[in-house]
Amino acid sequence: MEKKRRGMTLANKQLAAGWLFLTPATILIFIMSFYPIFQAFITSLKTGKGVNIAFANPLNYNYSRMLQDSIFMTSMKNTFFYLIIQVPIMLVLAILLAQLLNNKDLKFKGLFRTCIFLPCATSLVSYSLIFKSMFATQGLINSVLMNLGIIHENINWLGTPATAKAVIIIALIWRWTGYNMVFYLAGLQNIEYSVYEAAKIDGASGWKTFWYITCPLLKPTIVMTAIMSINGTLQLFDESMNLTSGGPANSTITMSHYIYNQAFGQGVGQLGYTSAMSFIVFILVGILAFISLKVGDSRD
Amino acid sequence: MKKQLLSLMLAGSMAASMVACGSAGSAGSTDNSGDAAAEDGAAAADVQSDDENTLTVYAWDENFNIPALQAAEKDFQDVNPDFKLDIITQSQSSDVEQAVTLAGQAGDYSTLPDIVLFQDHYIQQYVTNFPDAWQSVDDADCDWDGLGAEKLSYSTIDGVHYGFPVDAGTAIFAYRTDLLEECGYTIDDVTGITWDEFDKIGKEVYEKTGKYLLCMDGDGNDLFYMMLQAEGASQFKDGEPYFTENQQLVDVFNVIVKLAQDNVLYLANDWSDYTDQAIQGDMVAGVYNGNWIIPTIEQVADNSGKWEITTAPTLTGKEGYASNGGSSLYITANCKKADLAKQFLAYTFGGGSAADGQSTTYDEALTNGGVIGTCAAAAESDVYQQGVAYFNDQPIYAKIVEYTQNVPTVEQSDYHYSARTQLATALQSVLTDGVDVDTAIANAEQQLRFDMGL
Amino acid sequence: MTKKKNKSMIQRRLIPTYIFLTICSLISVFPLYWMIAAATNESIAVARGSITFGNQLAVNFEHLQNAVQGTLWSSMGNSFLYSIVQTIFTLFVCSLAGYGFELYHDKGKDKLFGIILLAMMVPAVATMVPLYALISKAGLLNSVWAFILPGIATPFMIMMFRQNSRNFPPDIMEAARIDGLPEWRIFFKMYVPVQKSIYAAAAVITFMNAWNAYMWPKVVMSDNRAQTMPMFIANISSGYTVDYGMTMLGVLFCSIPTMIVFFVLQKQFAEGITGSVK
Repeated sequence: MEKKRRGMTLANKQLAAGWLFLTPATILIFIMSFYPIFQAFITSLKTGKGVNIAFANPLNYNYSRMLQDSIFMTSMKNTFFYLIIQVPIMLVLAILLAQLLNNKDLKFKGLFRTCIFLPCATSLVSYSLIFKSMFATQGLINSVLMNLGIIHENINWLGTPATAKAVIIIALIWRWTGYNMVFYLAGLQNIEYSVYEAAKIDGASGWKTFWYITCPLLKPTIVMTAIMSINGTLQLFDESMNLTSGGPANSTITMSHYIYNQAFGQGVGQLGYTSAMSFIVFILVGILAFISLKVGDSRD
Repeated sequence: MKKQLLSLMLAGSMAASMVACGSAGSAGSTDNSGDAAAEDGAAAADVQSDDENTLTVYAWDENFNIPALQAAEKDFQDVNPDFKLDIITQSQSSDVEQAVTLAGQAGDYSTLPDIVLFQDHYIQQYVTNFPDAWQSVDDADCDWDGLGAEKLSYSTIDGVHYGFPVDAGTAIFAYRTDLLEECGYTIDDVTGITWDEFDKIGKEVYEKTGKYLLCMDGDGNDLFYMMLQAEGASQFKDGEPYFTENQQLVDVFNVIVKLAQDNVLYLANDWSDYTDQAIQGDMVAGVYNGNWIIPTIEQVADNSGKWEITTAPTLTGKEGYASNGGSSLYITANCKKADLAKQFLAYTFGGGSAADGQSTTYDEALTNGGVIGTCAAAAESDVYQQGVAYFNDQPIYAKIVEYTQNVPTVEQSDYHYSARTQLATALQSVLTDGVDVDTAIANAEQQLRFDMGL
Repeated sequence: MTKKKNKSMIQRRLIPTYIFLTICSLISVFPLYWMIAAATNESIAVARGSITFGNQLAVNFEHLQNAVQGTLWSSMGNSFLYSIVQTIFTLFVCSLAGYGFELYHDKGKDKLFGIILLAMMVPAVATMVPLYALISKAGLLNSVWAFILPGIATPFMIMMFRQNSRNFPPDIMEAARIDGLPEWRIFFKMYVPVQKSIYAAAAVITFMNAWNAYMWPKVVMSDNRAQTMPMFIANISSGYTVDYGMTMLGVLFCSIPTMIVFFVLQKQFAEGITGSVK
């Protein structure tokens, strides 16, 4: 009897301790993320600028306005274009690199890994400066291509819609492939070597082993990196802002960049409208993350 | 009440992490922000000085505006030896706008410094949107008539003065005379001509030298605004966009398209492409922009003595005067030393010291930063009158002040930069996607009306 | 003999792999080489894309020291202070939460975790204004708190610690409880010491993010004396005329600390990540 009571208090204590451990993080996340997004939602129902801001009539004014905003639509198209092209290329490249590096017989593993990871340790400001000067009209890339005789006239990389988009994608791949690779490398190290041995004995080819054994075992990692990349790409801002300024003619502008321009960039200060747009971004990221979770739903 | 609750919650969550953190928390506790949370307005202490002779100011550009402010500080120390100006560097003009917007949205201006440097094209709407953020300087002891009417039209809102001008932004057209000469032209041949004649000369220059006679940042394309102002016209009429019905705008648009197609005009991708590649990369024989572009041109030491400046061509062939960019200084509502601030600004940028015959502010702003003021009294100094070796010994500063007097005042709008963006986009769509000019202008007007909520 | 031959054959078969990895490494490292080269050149040479070393390093360094009222070293100091404080708090708060979510998990906590994951999707641009108002009202602008508060608890870090906590055997906890150890001491005495590598991985990521943060610090740190390195770089790299040699030297200064952190913690970083994707 007495023992039982003591056991209960112990369980209670444990329960309390468990919740206590979560408290600081939970409070911070509610204050620093959920409260502001709630505020942003309230603001998104308002219109007007500065002190003249007031609830819109009708309330969904900003949301219906978005549908007529051709630049917002362009920015959405651009963002999804980056997402569809860049994320798969980057993740496949990262898996490939991780697979190559996860070879027992390979020498200089640490050196290769460090080199490929390094780009993501450089600051955003610096890496956009570097890419901008490399792809400038009289920059390095053009002079190399000229000297190799591949092109005969300088290409205006950042001034043509298609190539400007390509430069942004190249820059993103350069910066983030190594980062994702580290996650895959870690995932691969969790796979027992004996699994591969068994596959070898069964006569499975390298490609088959990769597809039928490595990939399924890597699934949780793939889902995690996919969600991180989708989130990062949908909120893409710095590259559009610093590399191309969204140009030429808004052909590379991203959603976050357009939102920033409407809020601060051009002194227009339409906070109601920008809040509405950012709320849409929030929902889009949520939907896509949910889909990728469902697709990779073998976890736990 | 709400405020208290808020700080309590924040403090609570911090304490929760501190308590258990033990020794690890010591790194954070060296900071005095525990007090900052308790004591309201403590944050303002960082951008406000307790010293009664010190003023704080937000400004941007270490090579341009900031030397001008340093000159003003030195100048005013003649009157008030204890005076100190605490300059807080911002990376660009939009940082200042962002600071005002955020403070306004938070409903707390105590985070602003005493004085801010602010872009001319934006100030009107910021006074309208955040009327409580500013202080009128109408009662300052200043001779407003000597500061250039067109320039003051920005900082005067409903007849009340809010700011003191820093730089003029008067446009210049700079030409490489050596390249013109190769094609048999002089600087006089390109002064007071029509854009058609300019196009003809430009084609010749490109054929013979491979250089463009004009260049512009295609992303923030200021050509439309400057070329229209030179005609005495605006992109706006009665507060609404004035594009398709505006024959002068349509003509200017067509001129720009033709110049670009004839390889007379080089459109850079963005600002750094414009300054680094086009101008400093020696791709061009002509530059048309606000006079603040001069230090950029001067970066290329090899071309010293080869440049000269003149006025711009126009549609009709008269000499074109315009203005682009430029900023002014404004006293914020948070300034508790308004009298000192007004005295300081009136004496320095308001031309007080220049009228006394020793314009340290304007002279040193010019020599150290290349900032050319609008103050008529300052223009009489030797510094303004001397010839500049880089520009073939032309007295370019005096010339620019002379141009300033001729700039026509045209209708301004809060949506100046939106208009610029829409027209630049329209131009790109004509040049790269082959969209028809009239359609492009109509689209731009429609998009601008959308931006304005019309 | 045959073993040796076998080995060299394996290496020969790996030649394409070596070539491919070398190319990737060179591409990854080249922009960094270019940054170092640019730091030794004068502005106009950088703008024209020179890739060789110049002799302007000393001049660029002098300019850099005088830039933005000579705040180079104070910006470095601030960045170190903020990033280190941020790292300490994040590691503590998030590991505590990850530990709690995994080892005390029940239905309620799992639901809460799902809700917290949602915070990952909140776009920074949406929360900037309300968050600024919040920090401003609390009187925390220009303080280290303004910098760190929004970044202390991140869903990603909590998730990382939660995943890693799966390696921690519950039996040990039970044993410790029987010995009468209070819950919080189990965390400090037993959990923290064995999770070194995940702490290292989390430290690298948090430090890097904090060091490179730009948008948010720019908004809350309005005083030059409180500015961070990325803000310092932004201040010298915009304006009507930019000195690129000096800017690239500044960028180099800004990149060194994150690289050092990575180099030092590299091994533990890899191990820590390994645990989190199990």
